[in-house]
Amino acid sequence: MSRFWKQGEPQVWGTAAALTITLLMVVTLISVVMLNGLGFFWPSDTALVSLKDGTTLLGEITDKEKATATQGVKLQFKVGNRDLYGQDFRWVDKKDVKSLSYPDNAIVLERKENGNFYGFLKSLSLNGAQTPASADPWEQLLSQWKSVKQAQHNLDGLRDKMSDLNSAAENLRLKILKLSYRDKTTNQKEIETLSVQQEKLLTEFNTLLDKLNSATAEINQSTALFQDASGEEKEIALTDIVRAFRPNTMGFFAKSAFYAGKVKELLVGEPRESNTEGGLFPAIFGTVMMVLFMSIFSLPFGVIAAIYLREYAKEGLLVRIVRIAVNNLAGVPSIVYGVFGLGFFIYGIGSGIDQLFYPERLPTPTFGTGGILWASLTLALLTVPVVIVSTEEGLASVPKGLRQGSLSLGATKFQTLVKIVLPMATPGIMTGMILAMARAAGEVAPLMLVGVVKLAPALPIDGQFPFFHLDRKFMHLGFHIFDVGFQSPNVEAAKPMVFVTTLLLLAIVITASSTAIHLRNKMKKKYATKAF
Amino acid sequence: MGLRSRNDSLPDTKRFLARAKKNDRLAAWLINIGGLLVVISVIGILLLILKVAAPLFFTPDAALVSTTNLSGSAPEGKILNLGIDENLKTGFLISDQGTVTFFNPQNGAVSDTVTLSAPGDSNPGIAAITVAPDRHFDILWKDGSFSAVQIQLENNSDNQTAGQPAHEIETLTAEKRVESGPIPLLSLARFAEKDSPSRIDLLPGNRFIFSRKTTVTDLMGNETTTNTRTPFEAAIPGKITAVALDSKAEFLYAGTDTGHLLRWSLSEGESPQLLDSVQTSAKGSPVTALNLVLGDISIAVGNADGSFSTWFPASETGLGSSKVLTRIHPLTSHGSAVTAILPSPRNKSLYSLDKSGSINVNHMTSERHLLTLKGKTPLVLFAVSPRDNGLIGLDAGNRISTWQVSNPHPEISFRTLFGPVWYENYDKPEYVWQSSSANDDFEPKLSLTPLIFGTLKGTLYAMIFAIPLALFGAIYTSQFMGPKMKKIVKPGIEIMAAIPSVVIGFLAGLWLAPLLDKGIVSVLVSVIVIPLSVLLSIVCWKKFRTKPLLKKISVGYEFLLLVPALLLGIYASHALGGVMETALFAGDFKLWLFDGFGARFDQRNSIIIAFALGLAVIPLIFTMAEDALSNVPKNLSAASLAIGASRWQTAWRVVLPSALPGIFSAVMIGFGRAIGETMIVLMATGNTPIINWSIFNGFRSLSANIAVEIPEAPVFGTLYRVLFLSAVLLFIFTFIINTVAEILRQNFRKKYGRF
Repeated sequence: MSRFWKQGEPQVWGTAAALTITLLMVVTLISVVMLNGLGFFWPSDTALVSLKDGTTLLGEITDKEKATATQGVKLQFKVGNRDLYGQDFRWVDKKDVKSLSYPDNAIVLERKENGNFYGFLKSLSLNGAQTPASADPWEQLLSQWKSVKQAQHNLDGLRDKMSDLNSAAENLRLKILKLSYRDKTTNQKEIETLSVQQEKLLTEFNTLLDKLNSATAEINQSTALFQDASGEEKEIALTDIVRAFRPNTMGFFAKSAFYAGKVKELLVGEPRESNTEGGLFPAIFGTVMMVLFMSIFSLPFGVIAAIYLREYAKEGLLVRIVRIAVNNLAGVPSIVYGVFGLGFFIYGIGSGIDQLFYPERLPTPTFGTGGILWASLTLALLTVPVVIVSTEEGLASVPKGLRQGSLSLGATKFQTLVKIVLPMATPGIMTGMILAMARAAGEVAPLMLVGVVKLAPALPIDGQFPFFHLDRKFMHLGFHIFDVGFQSPNVEAAKPMVFVTTLLLLAIVITASSTAIHLRNKMKKKYATKAF
Repeated sequence: MGLRSRNDSLPDTKRFLARAKKNDRLAAWLINIGGLLVVISVIGILLLILKVAAPLFFTPDAALVSTTNLSGSAPEGKILNLGIDENLKTGFLISDQGTVTFFNPQNGAVSDTVTLSAPGDSNPGIAAITVAPDRHFDILWKDGSFSAVQIQLENNSDNQTAGQPAHEIETLTAEKRVESGPIPLLSLARFAEKDSPSRIDLLPGNRFIFSRKTTVTDLMGNETTTNTRTPFEAAIPGKITAVALDSKAEFLYAGTDTGHLLRWSLSEGESPQLLDSVQTSAKGSPVTALNLVLGDISIAVGNADGSFSTWFPASETGLGSSKVLTRIHPLTSHGSAVTAILPSPRNKSLYSLDKSGSINVNHMTSERHLLTLKGKTPLVLFAVSPRDNGLIGLDAGNRISTWQVSNPHPEISFRTLFGPVWYENYDKPEYVWQSSSANDDFEPKLSLTPLIFGTLKGTLYAMIFAIPLALFGAIYTSQFMGPKMKKIVKPGIEIMAAIPSVVIGFLAGLWLAPLLDKGIVSVLVSVIVIPLSVLLSIVCWKKFRTKPLLKKISVGYEFLLLVPALLLGIYASHALGGVMETALFAGDFKLWLFDGFGARFDQRNSIIIAFALGLAVIPLIFTMAEDALSNVPKNLSAASLAIGASRWQTAWRVVLPSALPGIFSAVMIGFGRAIGETMIVLMATGNTPIINWSIFNGFRSLSANIAVEIPEAPVFGTLYRVLFLSAVLLFIFTFIINTVAEILRQNFRKKYGRF
């Protein structure tokens, strides 16, 4: 046997292969998410296909598959028109295709309901009256659609007013409930005045509602008549159209602008169609709020524990036990934290709060059910070890000489800590906080038990008193992935949205943690020479 | 404080120093508390979830509320049966004079007396009463006529102010005697449909009459009523001593004084068929009491020698063979003959009264003896409240005792949680998790064993995949990789640790699983092809490595040179997989697997989990193992290299053994993470709680089970507490693993004096 084998070079290569496989897996994972997530918003061309059996299809080619050697290539079309066909996708054998073209007048509509519509524009009818056939119907459609949007937008003020009235009435209702719970007879007068107020609010609300309804009905009269590939006609109200475009006529820049519009909608828009379309704003907002609340709890606790371990405790059994506890806090499965949060925060503390402060609302729970406060507390407990470990590293990197210098000048231990050590350990604390936030943003399992929901009716912060609603349920990006990907009725149609959400979450988490790791490595370098 | 103020503001300085000292002490105190808070929270978490789970194992409570004689117009004659409402506020007695007396069990005050109307013209008095669920009483009158009544006690706590609780006696059927001959000993009627009673009469000499009234409404709305009467005889040596009939009148059970248990099937239009005749007692002790357990599948049998057991038909030899009544659950024996058995109206508990007058409460599935209730004097009759929260008993002197019973989790015992249990309709004891069903009389199957098994299965497969990749990767990174690359690769893997598990789970479930479903053979082939491709590239390398250009780049960059080789290997396995499937498995591996081995193939199977869960733990193990290897003092490896060992020999024989405790602790931490991982398992397996090792099937883990079931579990119900118990188990598993790992790591640090 040659020296090459004896010296163990092949083994070295074997270990290298293990690393390569690991890295390849990560690269694959990230590129799959990127490819699927980034491509979703790009408007692809719409193909008109006529098949050998005489049927015609209009749709995007979304997938190609070589089934087996004998069957040849199959094409997957997104044909949309769920209300007409029942299914969004259709598989077609490539050899059945007679002709394939990309007609300029093919229109794609994003609708509020029933997914995309693929077809051709036939005619336009405004407020019940047919428009003249002379003008270009497409231009007319766009301008009409814009004016309808404007009209709808004008109604938003009305809606805001109504929601204010609604919440004021709800507050009054709760007040009345509270008064009558305490003592109905002594508070009778107050209750009556409040009831009158409530009544007034309700009538005001109803007049506004009527106004809104009539205005909406008027807008809804503007419709357009469309035709699908097989000639079937479909009348669609302009208000139902979210976007209308002709992908086959769009150039690169038009497509880019379209893409940017979609990304903007994703970041600031509300979800549509049971979360499979539209924006992610409530989920992004919920995630950010939850993570911020969490840091308020976990940061001080983690930093103090780290200071104890590094600066105050004397090496011994107790410190060993505390370290074991920290490791267990880090190693206990996250679902156990969820169970703990459910049993302790929600049904323990939350129910207690309800009985003390909101007995009039029972059995409807206020804090005795999942909410953003309990979710933040649960995750705070989960992320404390991350803060402890990073802060400890930060404290350890502060050279001993600095501490001794401060102490020898007569500063107390606490003064040394606050004025000398902590400022220098700030990068470590920052690292810990960022890592904890990244962890919390990606954690889903415990949240499912303590307050995350698929669709929250209101954000945890809004313009209504007391502005922070800690008892409200919230949406979360990670749970959004699980819910839309695994619990929506039409998984195939929902998949692109899940990929986009995944991409967003992954981008947030990876950016956060690479910042943290970068910060930490810089810190290590900074004090590395001074430490010894 | 500055020097300039030393003289004139000495008190200020002093005060400042005093305040600084005070702050210092206060801070020290607070920080110490903060440090200990970590320990407190760990213990607190365990204790609080344990507190929720603990009531599962508490013994049930029973309190004797009252013992009283009836005051006022006490019923005349012999008391034949009794009952109580769900709030334990109203009781009633039925006497052989045909009167129902309602009273308050607390003080014995009689509130009302109603005389039952006999089917005949006059009231002949009652010969026998049997009770069926929902306070339905079958009354055999002394003249041979029969009626069935249901006694409703409406006792809503809201209308307490209305004074007397309402009660209502509904006559379900009333039949005059139609034929002469001996008067029946016992009559039972059941109503599978309203107005269509099926009735069994037991006559002296082991004879039965099965009669059924069917009312058919034709298209025109005319009702035709047909009566069928089928007499039949039990050809057995002994004498029938106890009879039970299920609520749809499909099966008739009888016990004899020779200890036999008989079962007939009763079906319309056919004569009853004797299905079983089995001996219930080794000594031939007579059967003294029979009753069906809630759900009508099991029958509880009490014998004269006090033995008490439940039976249902099961096939001994497995599938296909006919089912025979089998003793399933032997329950705690009484000291004397069992005289009456009543099922719980809520669960599979059984109440049994013996001749000495005490009541035993057992749960069938868990075979748990829950309670023994004894009155101040021996009881002769008893009844269970409809909510299963109380009992009423009557002694020989017509004194009435009431018990309040709190029995929230009777179905839980150590064996039902971890051992094999013989559930109804199963042919043998098994480990099953099936927590809920559509109907109320369902037997909950709460065995944690399949879930623990699933957890271990997933963890094991994931670790088989992850450990070699992570450890060898760590060895390469720490020992052979160039420092420049290491600066990129190590943070890269650390960032990989931050990838949320929900992302990995989603990709595994919705992207990898369908892909693998198509190319399963390729994956199996790749287990051989990929190592081969690595080997091939090493052989090639040996040939070309002497080229000067290659020599320069090789050391420290081997892992990059391997990328094309591995991609080639993946492509080769993909291509080969298709060819192999056509050649070896007739084009369909899954069908071949099913035909050849009877093994099912799930799309979301354990291979997916191995990849996904493996990917989640690799960075964890990698980072810690790499740290451990890097922390081995450089002088050790330098010495080894200096005396002529190769870089592999140094790494394998010198560095690795020194870092072993650290590596071991890294593996354990990874193991702990894999055990508790929830989202990946939830999303990438089918979550079926089965026990098998097949890599082509999924499983359900403890953690995923909690996530799946807890939203549906009623708060503080049995399922809720069992889920908390599984959280306790997870906590303890991981606690042990993490503690051992941490102790190992502390010792390792001590040894090398760093960190």
